Amino acid sequence: MSSPTALELLPALLVIVPILGATLPLALGLRYDDVGWACATAVCGIVFALALPVTNAVYGVGERVQVIHNLGGFDQPVGIALVADELSTIVVLLIAAVSLATLAYTRHGGPRGNTFYSGYLLLVGGLMGISLTGDVFNLFVFLEITGIATYGLIAKSDGAEAAVAALKYLIIGTVGASLYLVGVGFVFLATGTLNMIDLATAIPEAGYDDPLVRMAFAFMFVGFAIKVAQWPLHTWQPDAYQHAPDGVTPMIAALVSTVSAYALARVIFGVYTVEFVATTPYLQEIVVTVGSVSVVAGSLLAVIQVDVKRMLAFSSVSQFGLIVAAYGLLTETALVGALVHLVGHGIMKAGLFVCAGIVAAGYGARKVDEYAGLFAHRPAVASATAVLGIALIGIPPSVGFIGKWYIAVGSVEAELWPVAAVIFLSTMLTLGYVARLLEKMFFTHATGAPASHAVATDGGEGVLVGTLDEADPVSLGMIGLAVGAAVLAVALGFAGGTFNELFDPFVSEVFS
Amino acid sequence: MTEALALLYPPLLVFAAALLVLVLPRTVGFGLGALSLVAVAVLSLSIPYGTYLETTFLGFEATPFLVDEFTAMLGFVMGFLGAGAVLFAHSSEASKTMAAFALAYVASSLGAAFAGDWLVLVFYWEVMAVTSTLLVWHYGGDAVRAGYRYAIAHGIGGSLVLFAVVWHFAEVGTFTYGEGAAGIAPGIPALLAALGIGVNVAFIGLHTWLPDTYPRPHFAASVFLAAYTTKTSAYVLYRAFPEGNLFLAYMGGLMAVYGVVFALLQHDMRALLSYHIQAQLGYMVAGIGIGTAIAVSGAMGHLFNNVLYKSLLFMAIGVVIYRTGENDLYELGGLWREMPITATAYAIGAFSIVALPGFNGFISKGMVFDAANPTYYGSSEYLALYWLLMIGAIGTFLSFIKLGYYTFLHGESSISVPDANPGQSAAMLAVAAACIVFGVWWQGLVELLPFGPEVIGEGQVAPYSIGHLTDALTLLVVSVVGFALVRKPLSGLGDIPDMEVVLNPATFTLGRGTMFAVTDLYRAVDALAVSLVTSCYWVGNNPVLAVRRVGRRLPNWLVDTQRLGPTAERRPDGGAAVGERKPSTLRLRASIGTTVLLITVVLTVILWLLL
Repeated sequence: MSSPTALELLPALLVIVPILGATLPLALGLRYDDVGWACATAVCGIVFALALPVTNAVYGVGERVQVIHNLGGFDQPVGIALVADELSTIVVLLIAAVSLATLAYTRHGGPRGNTFYSGYLLLVGGLMGISLTGDVFNLFVFLEITGIATYGLIAKSDGAEAAVAALKYLIIGTVGASLYLVGVGFVFLATGTLNMIDLATAIPEAGYDDPLVRMAFAFMFVGFAIKVAQWPLHTWQPDAYQHAPDGVTPMIAALVSTVSAYALARVIFGVYTVEFVATTPYLQEIVVTVGSVSVVAGSLLAVIQVDVKRMLAFSSVSQFGLIVAAYGLLTETALVGALVHLVGHGIMKAGLFVCAGIVAAGYGARKVDEYAGLFAHRPAVASATAVLGIALIGIPPSVGFIGKWYIAVGSVEAELWPVAAVIFLSTMLTLGYVARLLEKMFFTHATGAPASHAVATDGGEGVLVGTLDEADPVSLGMIGLAVGAAVLAVALGFAGGTFNELFDPFVSEVFS
Repeated sequence: MTEALALLYPPLLVFAAALLVLVLPRTVGFGLGALSLVAVAVLSLSIPYGTYLETTFLGFEATPFLVDEFTAMLGFVMGFLGAGAVLFAHSSEASKTMAAFALAYVASSLGAAFAGDWLVLVFYWEVMAVTSTLLVWHYGGDAVRAGYRYAIAHGIGGSLVLFAVVWHFAEVGTFTYGEGAAGIAPGIPALLAALGIGVNVAFIGLHTWLPDTYPRPHFAASVFLAAYTTKTSAYVLYRAFPEGNLFLAYMGGLMAVYGVVFALLQHDMRALLSYHIQAQLGYMVAGIGIGTAIAVSGAMGHLFNNVLYKSLLFMAIGVVIYRTGENDLYELGGLWREMPITATAYAIGAFSIVALPGFNGFISKGMVFDAANPTYYGSSEYLALYWLLMIGAIGTFLSFIKLGYYTFLHGESSISVPDANPGQSAAMLAVAAACIVFGVWWQGLVELLPFGPEVIGEGQVAPYSIGHLTDALTLLVVSVVGFALVRKPLSGLGDIPDMEVVLNPATFTLGRGTMFAVTDLYRAVDALAVSLVTSCYWVGNNPVLAVRRVGRRLPNWLVDTQRLGPTAERRPDGGAAVGERKPSTLRLRASIGTTVLLITVVLTVILWLLL
């Protein structure tokens, strides 16, 4: 019952601050209109500020560091621990950064309203909880918090379709979380503990061939496969992404599935071990197959989509397939690649959805064909989209390249040639759907009158010449966010070695 | 020195001649062709026994040039007869192209004869089918359709042999003759080989191509055709079944009877001769089937003699056709006054084939008889075979008396025609001389045969014993009397159909039917697949409609009709009801339900794999 140090308090604060902060827009909304954005910005700013020292503490020393907070002062394994280590901290930082940055879009691009920002902060809290928790049951709780917040945010959009998409997500997402919970139940039966660090030693004691242990893994894996949207369990995801409000999509696309994929990595490598996956018959094949099939199926479905947001959604199915497949490769390089791609994909996809939102708001285009001639009208957004798309393909220098490169090298090390072939194929297919956009934006002239805001000037230009008025749906912040994401995606492309160093302590311990 | 001769590979010599005959002046070309064949005959007897030119063919060990007692004898007679046939063709206005095809055909036949293993044999076997078809086709007219049927028959036969050889290789691991198994591997390979070779040696039922094809091309081409395909195949039959086989023996006996019966019924001269090829092959097949030394020796001797006298007969009849332009023997008569040389040649050929003493057929046919006859060297199981062969012999007598009588004797010739020209005469007389020489100097013939020295050494060959001569005389008397009795009724008979009237339409219908069956089946499967995919697509695109359609077909007690949303049953309630109903959630339910189903499936599969 020793009192925690200031650093050890931070993991708890990272979870508690946004959850408590979620009440502020509602409470202050009783007195003031339109206070939500300010509250959210303040809270997210604080969260981001809190994340920085944690990041510094974890990555600053170059060796394995676990910042552990025992909630309520109850020691493990009885109490619930929050753990910031090399694996979780990068996700924490991603959440803090993306949630803060997305506010730059929602300020002008909507949705508006105090309730929206309450849900927004609740989502941040849930995501933080998933990232930091060191307890498998607690993980389920945060999965549900995240899910409920997400359902609400999606339904915030106008129109019945969003409600239907949210309902679908609600049902299927709950099934996924329930399967995970069943898995937790089995593992608890087998070992008698829920603490992740404890489980890592308790599961081998129960025996890798214990049917309960294996069944638990199967349920958890399928549960996460739903949450991460692996084909063919992805059906909720395209609807949800397409119909969610444009301001919410970057947040969901960049974080919700990403954090689920992170949790899957935590379960595979932290709770179960590499040895379990390697020694259990068929298990490695299952993981790799599920991932590879998603890569191919997702890409193919993306290529045939008409709606840009839906296309990007299927792209996520494919990219997360790559990450899951990389988990299954069971090599250090592939795991580093998966983590890099986890972060990189979050940044790129957030940027692309921001761009899609801007184009929809400012140019009235939602379909691939309607993107014709976009570069002539909105050069900044078109360029940002192009850069992000190219990064997504994996053309260096970009963060997309680093992730795919590490995964590809890992597949070669593992001598799983089909996976190597799938990675190569996914690059080609990604090129397929990105090239469609590029061709439309740069090389096709607009045919007919573009919808609603065809005459609006580009956001940046508009500010400079002073023609910005209330009617301009695109703000400087929105443009800046898109361009910033593009710049970041390229800039991180030079950080391959750095990523390797950051993750090395965790990865070497997992494979030791 | 003699070893060096083996570098002259006979088929290659003849094939080179076949190419040269196309470009050289006609007489020089034909001369070269004849010379190459004479060379083959000489080479066959002068090259020591052994295997030459061993090489790899299609990646397997191959011995394309085997010289032993069988192939030497075959090579000799093929070369000798070939030279005569080329001379005959030259004098019979055969074109250079025809000579080239004929020589290529002879070359492939020689290749099959000299082959030392099954792989090379199959190769030449197929080439032989192609070249002989070309030789038939070249003549045009009626021969084209017949050639087409010929090609189908030999295509099927060749494929069967190919399968047999492949299977044989799979069983014993080598292609070489006599290695791994004495003949072809027993069981299915042997069955396939018997059927495949059976096409070429005209087993009953597989023979229809023979009388169909051989009467139709140029009469000089018939001389070639009559000599090579069937005789080579009879030799190959021995290679496949060196130890004999009772079924084969009786097939031979039946062929002898069947062939002469149909020969007797013919009035096209070359058709009559063609049925006799089948009948004579019957004696060879019977000898091979019996499988004892004297039987095989007799069969091979009969093969040797048959090449000579059957070609001689085709030459003589060819001259008759050449001079009179008539194929039907009932239209002829008294020709011996007009063409005495031809009549003499025919007579020598006929005396040989009916096995009169003093002619070569008497020697070899006698050996086969003795091999089957239980009172000589046969066993009791061959008694019936012996009588079959005897009936065949009587039939042979009858039909050649008939052919000779109507063509050369029978009244006065109504037409005046010149005799054979000098070249034709020379060819015929050379072959006729050989028939007599080997009939009189029978020791020379038998010494040349496989197992010949052995059977002579054991004193098994005594053709001019009193018993044999009595037999021959009896046959002759019975036949002459018989002919006098059946001459009238025979000439009254019209066309008697052979199996071809059933087999040809059957092949046609079967082929057509198979083709239609395959294409229609494909079409049906294709249509089914397309409609399945289309419906799946439609169901995928319109899940709501699909569920409704299924729902409507379900009996009412099974489904709550209220839940199916707007259906025809509800309409009569009144128009207002239509406007009030809630939007359907069926699509949403269907899509969520599908996903949950998929989740269950995936979970089940993973659990099944892991546990």
